[in-house]
Amino acid sequence: MEKSLLKKEALQKLIDGVREKGGRFVAPSILARQVVYREVDCADQMVHDYIVPRNSIKEFLFPQTEPILRFRLMREGVEVEDVRVEPERTVFFGVRPCDAASCGAVRKVFTWDYIDQFYTRREDSSVMMTIACTSSDDECFCTTVGVSPEGKEGADLLLKETVDGDYLVEAVTDRGRAFVEEFKDVFTEPDGAELKAVATPEPIEGVNIDNIIGFLKDRSHYNSEIWAELARKCVGCGACTFTCPTCRCFDMVDEGTYIEGERRKNWDSCQFDSFTLHASGHNPRDTQFKRWRNRFMCKFNFYPVKFSARGCVGCGRCIRVCPVRLDITEVMIEVSEAARDV
Amino acid sequence: MSNIYMPYLATIEDMFEEAPGVKTLNLVFKDPKVRESFEFKTGQFGLYSVFGYGESTFCIASPETRKGYIQCTFRRVGRVTTALSELSVGDTIGFRGPYGNWFPVEEWKGKNILFIAGGIGLPPVRSVIWTCLDRREDYGDVTMVYGARTVDDLVYKEELRHWEDRDDLTLIKTVDPGGEKEGWDGEVGFVPTVLEEAGPGAENTVCVICGPPVMIKFSLSVLERLGFRDDDVYTTLENKMKCGVGKCGRCNVGDVYICKEGPVYTAAQIKKMYNDF
Amino acid sequence: MEKELRERARELLESGEVGVVIGYGWNRRKRRTTPVFIRKPEEAERLVFNPLCVNNLSVYLTRKYPDIQKLGRAAIVAKGCDIKNIVVLMAEGQLKRDDVYIIGVRCNGVVYRQELWQGELRPEIMPVKCHNCDVREPHVADTVVGEPVLFTPPEEPVGMVFDKIREIDAMSPEERWQFWMDHFSRCIKCYACRQVCSLCYCERCITEKNMPQWIETSAHPRGNLAWNLIRAMHLAGRCTFCGECERACPVNIPLNIINQKLVLVVKDAFEHRSGYDPDTHPPLIVYDTEDKEDFIK
Repeated sequence: MEKSLLKKEALQKLIDGVREKGGRFVAPSILARQVVYREVDCADQMVHDYIVPRNSIKEFLFPQTEPILRFRLMREGVEVEDVRVEPERTVFFGVRPCDAASCGAVRKVFTWDYIDQFYTRREDSSVMMTIACTSSDDECFCTTVGVSPEGKEGADLLLKETVDGDYLVEAVTDRGRAFVEEFKDVFTEPDGAELKAVATPEPIEGVNIDNIIGFLKDRSHYNSEIWAELARKCVGCGACTFTCPTCRCFDMVDEGTYIEGERRKNWDSCQFDSFTLHASGHNPRDTQFKRWRNRFMCKFNFYPVKFSARGCVGCGRCIRVCPVRLDITEVMIEVSEAARDV
Repeated sequence: MSNIYMPYLATIEDMFEEAPGVKTLNLVFKDPKVRESFEFKTGQFGLYSVFGYGESTFCIASPETRKGYIQCTFRRVGRVTTALSELSVGDTIGFRGPYGNWFPVEEWKGKNILFIAGGIGLPPVRSVIWTCLDRREDYGDVTMVYGARTVDDLVYKEELRHWEDRDDLTLIKTVDPGGEKEGWDGEVGFVPTVLEEAGPGAENTVCVICGPPVMIKFSLSVLERLGFRDDDVYTTLENKMKCGVGKCGRCNVGDVYICKEGPVYTAAQIKKMYNDF
Repeated sequence: MEKELRERARELLESGEVGVVIGYGWNRRKRRTTPVFIRKPEEAERLVFNPLCVNNLSVYLTRKYPDIQKLGRAAIVAKGCDIKNIVVLMAEGQLKRDDVYIIGVRCNGVVYRQELWQGELRPEIMPVKCHNCDVREPHVADTVVGEPVLFTPPEEPVGMVFDKIREIDAMSPEERWQFWMDHFSRCIKCYACRQVCSLCYCERCITEKNMPQWIETSAHPRGNLAWNLIRAMHLAGRCTFCGECERACPVNIPLNIINQKLVLVVKDAFEHRSGYDPDTHPPLIVYDTEDKEDFIK
């Protein structure tokens, strides 16, 4: 059965089923007047009318802060205890195609030679139920970066909403097929109901991703004056990086008392002055535009060229949360233009 | 290997004061199996941790030819290095590594080697020096130019004396003008100037250089005048690091991750990098 | 008003009196405003002013922006509430009056967040500061543009923030603790609150100091509480209630409640209102023998 139906009345049964087996069910829900992905135990907590949740799903796979080892200082030395993640299964329901597409990029970095199992174990034990978008806003630009609002990339199951509010479910991966099989009492035969129209944002005029990549790969443009111009208003907060689904930089800190404590892995942002600051006082990215340039480079050069991955999935979060509306698509237009002028 | 952030535990077996604020630690792994099997290549680095304070990155300063222990030399500047320097012999620290690439000493067999170092830039070079001296017959002439701001700031003072006494190595030591003191028998002058005066030949010679950026910058032009090719000049880059394994995202110079693709580069490679230093 | 604003900006740039005019312009789709840095007289046409101009641009006058300072003397488009922050910067010796040319704009209020705009400025979408504003006519400026504003703030301040303060004051300490811990638990430590604040101008914030580590940088409850408390304390007696931190917060932490509570406490204890007089130092950084001692019980 490649296609099946998930009735909206069956959602509670699915949530219960997942939770009874020790899993967690993450879905869009309201928290502090915002739609966010979060764990729910009841279908009533879910919302269905949303564009892109405030947070990305990365916080469930790569938490904001997590212990990576524990230590105890004793007379005879130090005792260090490994922290092993044995994650519960997480079912992500209502993930937007842009968010699902981001996982591949994050995984590339976390498995590049050394494997960060804190990430991979969580991702491996997750089930991604993507829902195609039926609405979009000014900030959505997935199509500009080659992501589709009904894309299957990163999805285990692709859901499309019917006019009745049910979901037509298509299994994309074996994991998805197994999940439908496991909960076969929840999924039913498709009833042929009409599907809601997919909302496809218009690709932004004037953006040419290949030209952007080409421009960035040419090292002579690294010192171009456009960077200081384009990023002048950036205030250097981490809102864009922390809500971005593909940003995955982190810090490592020790915390605790003089006797015992833990080493933690915390989200960090390349936009912070302290990110690259050497203890000597030297800072290779000593002004904000250099830090902003690094982020743009990461998205449109390092990720695609070095890791053959998507650096940007067009979710638009960085535009929505930016306190000074530094709009990455406007920069993409400018850089595309600069590339044409070369 | 399940948790890539787990360090080995090591005991500080010995510790030396090299210069004001600069210390060397002799480290021996607690686990006999690790002690036995641990290997590294000269130029690789590690992350040294004081539990409760965090990790700090330095090269392994001892040569790959000496087994059973490793050494690191560091200057007390930040939180972790301050905590490290306050530890005593017998204390336990963490070590992750070895990480990164290395100096291709195997490829240099039959060649002359010129070492240039400034101040606290000597430790990584020292690892290469001893690696080559321990296999002395593999290499031609070995010349070394080492300078520091003042006489007191020179590190590995005893080893410098030893190297001076050896007749299979030429050591030119110098201090910056004004940094000399009574009894100083070396040169007075900046490293690039002293290097130019010494004028070592570039024929069949590789160069390893490490030190403050300004010293490297001026020395590189001297080396060019002396006829060195950029492919034959090696250095090791430093950047702030946290994970050491290409994940945390801060040590990149443009698209190059120092922790994974470095820290050892030729001058030719560096010239091709993004200007992100 | 925009005509007047652009004209003034053009003159200032033409005469060379300033090297840059910091103001508001439209974004690409002309649906949101964003800070712009006008450096050529002919670019003055880009300047706009409307209820979407929420940003407090005074942050760009601080020493955190050496690249902007390199552009020369700055003129800044500022609402009365933004000017309060410039006044504090002057009071704290961060800025001399002559360093900046203030183009004061008469203001009828702005939106709480730009996303709320649907073409009309209704009271429900305005922040509490606008409902109680006593500086719609800019109080410190080199020139003032716009039509005179007829607005008298209410005798007693009104708005949700004040209601909420009363509600929280009535809570038991346990309830109050829970209220704040719930809100702070969402903090992601992006420091947007700090970065948009023109009074958070330290080049090295206490969170970045690690010898010793005063504030745990982890975004766990302990670290989040520590950060939010220290941020508030460092702004006590200085904060002008401009609301930028709450607006910038991606996770909707009601920082305006904390800030206004601090404003009330400081007013009560020191009879000080921040942002009105460049010659009065914030009370918590000066010693005054006349200070009340009624907190000593």
